[in-house]
Amino acid sequence: MEEARIGVFLADSGGQLSKILDFESITEFLRGIHGVTRVQRASEFWRGDGLKTIIDAVKSGEINRVVVAEGIPKIGEIAIAKSISSAGLDPGFIEVLDLKGHCAWPHRDSPREATEKAKAMLLAAIEKVRLSQPIEKAVFPAVKSVLVIGGGVAGMQAAEDLADMGFQVYLIEKEPFLGGLAARAVRFFPTDDCAVCIQSPTSDLKTVTHTSRKCIYRSGISEIPNLQILTNSRVIKLEGEPGNFKVTIEKKPRYVNDKCVACGLCATVCPVEVPDEYNAKLTTRKAIYMNMPIVYPPLYVIDGSVCKFHECAKCVAVCPTKAIDLNQKAETITLNVGSIIVATGFKEFDPSVIKEYHYGEYPDIITHLELARMIDSFGPTGGRIIRPSDKKEAKRIVFIQCVGSRDRRWNPYCSGICCMISLKHATLIKEAHPDADITICYIDIRTTGREHEYYYEKAREMGIKFVKGRPTEILHDPATNTLVVDVEDEILKRFLELEADLVVLAAAMVPNDGSEELAKILGIELDKDGFFKEYNSKLRPTETKMRGILICGGATFPKDVPTVSLHAHSAAVKAAKFLNEGKIVKDLRVAYVNEDYCGDCECCPVTCPYGAISLVPSGNGHFVARVSPLKCEGCGICVGTCPVGAIELNHLNSKQISAQIKALLSVNETSKPKVLAIYCSECGGTALDSAGMTMSYPANVRTLKVPCTGVIRAQHIIEAFKAGAQGVMIVGCKPEGCHYEAGSQMAKKKVELTKALLAAYGIEPDRLEMFNLVYIEGDKFAEAARMMSERIEKLGQLVIA
Amino acid sequence: MIFVEDKGEKSNSDFIKNVKEMLGGETITSCYQCGTCASSCPVAKTTERFNPRHLLRIALLGEGDEILSGDAIWLCSSCYNCQERCPQKVEIAEVIFALRNMAIRSGKIPQIYIDFANGLMNEGRVVPVSKFVEKKRPDYGLPPLKPAGVEPLRKILAATGFDKLISKKG
Amino acid sequence: MASYALFLGCTIPARQPQYEISARKALAKLGIELIDLENMTCCAPPPVKSIDLETGLAISAYNICLAEEADLDILTLCVGCFESLAMANTLLKENPQLRKRVNHILSNVGKEFKGTREVKHYLSVLLNDVGIEKIRKNLVKPLSKLKVAAFSGCHLLRPSELLRFDDPERPRIFDTLIEALGAKSIPYKNKLRCCGGLLRGYADDVALAITRDKIVNAHKAGADCISTLCPFCFLTLDLGQMLIKTTYKEEYNLPIIHYAELLSLSLGVEPKELALDFHKVKLDKVLEKIS
Repeated sequence: MEEARIGVFLADSGGQLSKILDFESITEFLRGIHGVTRVQRASEFWRGDGLKTIIDAVKSGEINRVVVAEGIPKIGEIAIAKSISSAGLDPGFIEVLDLKGHCAWPHRDSPREATEKAKAMLLAAIEKVRLSQPIEKAVFPAVKSVLVIGGGVAGMQAAEDLADMGFQVYLIEKEPFLGGLAARAVRFFPTDDCAVCIQSPTSDLKTVTHTSRKCIYRSGISEIPNLQILTNSRVIKLEGEPGNFKVTIEKKPRYVNDKCVACGLCATVCPVEVPDEYNAKLTTRKAIYMNMPIVYPPLYVIDGSVCKFHECAKCVAVCPTKAIDLNQKAETITLNVGSIIVATGFKEFDPSVIKEYHYGEYPDIITHLELARMIDSFGPTGGRIIRPSDKKEAKRIVFIQCVGSRDRRWNPYCSGICCMISLKHATLIKEAHPDADITICYIDIRTTGREHEYYYEKAREMGIKFVKGRPTEILHDPATNTLVVDVEDEILKRFLELEADLVVLAAAMVPNDGSEELAKILGIELDKDGFFKEYNSKLRPTETKMRGILICGGATFPKDVPTVSLHAHSAAVKAAKFLNEGKIVKDLRVAYVNEDYCGDCECCPVTCPYGAISLVPSGNGHFVARVSPLKCEGCGICVGTCPVGAIELNHLNSKQISAQIKALLSVNETSKPKVLAIYCSECGGTALDSAGMTMSYPANVRTLKVPCTGVIRAQHIIEAFKAGAQGVMIVGCKPEGCHYEAGSQMAKKKVELTKALLAAYGIEPDRLEMFNLVYIEGDKFAEAARMMSERIEKLGQLVIA
Repeated sequence: MIFVEDKGEKSNSDFIKNVKEMLGGETITSCYQCGTCASSCPVAKTTERFNPRHLLRIALLGEGDEILSGDAIWLCSSCYNCQERCPQKVEIAEVIFALRNMAIRSGKIPQIYIDFANGLMNEGRVVPVSKFVEKKRPDYGLPPLKPAGVEPLRKILAATGFDKLISKKG
Repeated sequence: MASYALFLGCTIPARQPQYEISARKALAKLGIELIDLENMTCCAPPPVKSIDLETGLAISAYNICLAEEADLDILTLCVGCFESLAMANTLLKENPQLRKRVNHILSNVGKEFKGTREVKHYLSVLLNDVGIEKIRKNLVKPLSKLKVAAFSGCHLLRPSELLRFDDPERPRIFDTLIEALGAKSIPYKNKLRCCGGLLRGYADDVALAITRDKIVNAHKAGADCISTLCPFCFLTLDLGQMLIKTTYKEEYNLPIIHYAELLSLSLGVEPKELALDFHKVKLDKVLEKIS
């Protein structure tokens, strides 16, 4: 690489900065630095004439490195980098610093020291660019196809959106039919419309009239050209990279092909009868069956775990279209997709573990899903609300809320939708049976969504009773076959024994079966309640830390249908954005491993929050770490983890860090003891920015920016002390809010270890301190800086041999 | 508070803090007044003088004086049914022990507890063994009763300050 | 032969010699050795905890230390003692801060809780060390005509998170052991509910109302007797019936009998050896059904 020819451009911000900083002295200082071929001063450099000056200097070849001290650094940096790279200079060779907000403004009361600090900051920037490497752009393939896992409301909405946009979509569903919980729920609150209604595709399909909504089975979802639906299927393996995943699917045999005309003859001759799980075991089904209402596909299916196959084969004999193939085998299908959307929903908690509620022991205690099947006129009771024990009509019904929710023994969270479900079921029953005697026992009634409160009003107006109190036990009187709910009406402070024909438990909503397994296969995280974890539900909803893998709907947390819908459409948009151009262009501001140094300690893959590091065989029985440039976020946590320095960041290598540390501490005209503050480019940096706007703090605090405090090693801190720092501050994001997930927690641990190390060498551990600050805490940064300055002055001079 | 006279001695928030600092009282603030404990309680079902949910309600409002000088805290039969069923894992029975501890420290102690304490301090047992019963042991083929470790017990009581708690009142 | 440090507590030696007699005889017959340690004290039941929880914990821990030093697990008869000691044992084993705090107090008497031993109730020793089969084999007089209302008392089961003895909502161990004797353990209303005993001395009327409830429910279910594990429950239910007679003018004549006594009788011990005159409600009807 050719010798560095560095141009330094000082923005004066309309002459304001020179009132504080001695620009002549600074310019003279800069001219004396080896490699600096141009020093220029103007009001601003990020646009207009100023920018033109830089571009001309680059084009003429006079300079091949650019350092700009700019008054509006964040916007300026982007504008400068854009223009200069179009002039032919790699953006890796540009460094923009803020002499206004990080120097002149906060130190206006001590201009001499401010000037000294400005020199140090500029020297550091110069040393950094001197050692810079070019940052390449890499292009990765982005296959324009998406895998949607889960054929419920969320999955179908997202799949339809993407298919309409022209992406190839694979919608897989582990059950033999689409629909998920929705198909069993009968109606959705707060409007009480049918649960099988979804948006209809916007593509104009012949013979399907266009409205905004359709029943799933009439929607033509299966006819959308680039949407392939695979039922009885689940993901078993994931390989490849974001934008270009290779997913292996296992498809269980249905034993019935698409010649089936759904006549039902097979079911009438099938000798095997089992409890019908779909209908909450209130009735039975055959080994060959179809769920009602019909969703999709309109084909029968054989339950391979109970069928007698060729020992029986009665169904094969009667099938008029020869649609049954008992020899069907499981299939393994490989799909190449650019993005994956997890929409696996949730399921109902099994309350039999709450022994005092006797669920499973007394048959007349049921859950909402079971009640929904009774309310469904397609269902096993034909729409009658009955007592499972004697099939008699249930007149007195008691609902119990928060069964397994808000319960630290089972699920501490509130499931969010059960209050509305109880109100829905209670009002539906009361509407059909005005003489029903319904009571809802609750801790709180949560009706927070749009129109939800009207639902609650309607329930009260219909004469549904509400008891504030959580029952301790459900008792059973065998003489009268009546249930008795033992509860305190705490408003009345009276103990009640509510007699009931039927008790409905509003059981919690919990993560669906197979969540753990799927999370492992995809390499994504579950939160502490077992739901799929969003990267940041406020600012990056539906995303996970794995690029290209999105999650939506009930799989992330129980939701009502309007919210599921929002979430699903959001995920579709994100997937589309990611894949739209058919390629992913990425700046390689990433980490890379020097495989010669890697000692196979295997620590870095674990600490990378993005799963970007994998271990590859190095040929001699060992492994070396390798970084996926597509997944890497360039934070440097791995650099901070590696005990031998085998990993480096393209955009900030260890030589650059050392050079900057030395440079920042070298300019020492005033001889005041120095503090080095290493801050992260995220929250830490913003605290400095806001401190710089209106606060003042001592100028002997020199500042060094890193991508994430996670990159810091004990070594850097010791270097700082050796280079003349009397104190070191680490300024990063809040522990739970690190923008790179885990960096500031790791930095905290390292600071603790380094303190112990310092103490062992007779250096006061108080010289080192970590601060976790955000943008609005600029005042706290100023306070911390003052505090550290005072502290090191009290501690006295530190001399390291 | 509007409905209770301001006794002026301790601020309301101090009381809750004090309860949480007592051994056994740590979990009181998890209570969200669901009422499961009340309907699990055999005493509450028998008399209006005691209701664990109600007791915790008053405590959580900070009404320390009412709780500590009242009758309710002494009516718990320590059956632990409430604690067993509480969905927030509030250690209700332990909280009531802690409140009793606080009441005694503030000078309120029912006579029967003074008797228990005296039995403990004098003979190492809350229910002292009478000489009459002890002498009959050989008649039943029972080995002689090993004497209780009164000395070590007294040392423990001195170390925890138990003896001083009672000597205030006994 | 399994050996245990016997923990007697206060109420048994003071007022329930029949419990101690029957327990010693029955366990000896079944091959359990009971060792009486020196210097044990009260276990620190609720009356002590009500005054100071820390003192209670320290006293319980002290007694466990004696067993640790003798390298023996503790066997309790009274479930109140079981709860105090087993709770303390678990708490101190699993909470290092609490352990440190208690050991600081115990240092005044030269003791240190190490967490090396278990606290067991004799029912689990019968179930696990002896076994149902052995009990059945040793029966001399099976209690096949007896309908028993089992009442273990609160402190055998709760708080289940610390005691971990049996399922607190569906306990089976006590019933299984009753049925091992040939008797029938009958269901009755509010079987697991407290007897009200600990309210005696402070609110006798409330205590008696709760006690009466238990007697009435067992009686209604057709019980021949109520079988207890706690000397305090025993007194409450036995002596309580005298008070029910004077206060409510109701007479139930429902014998209260410790499981250890039933065990001894079914293993062939003669009633006259068991000091049964300590029972206020006489056992004649029960003894008839046994012989």
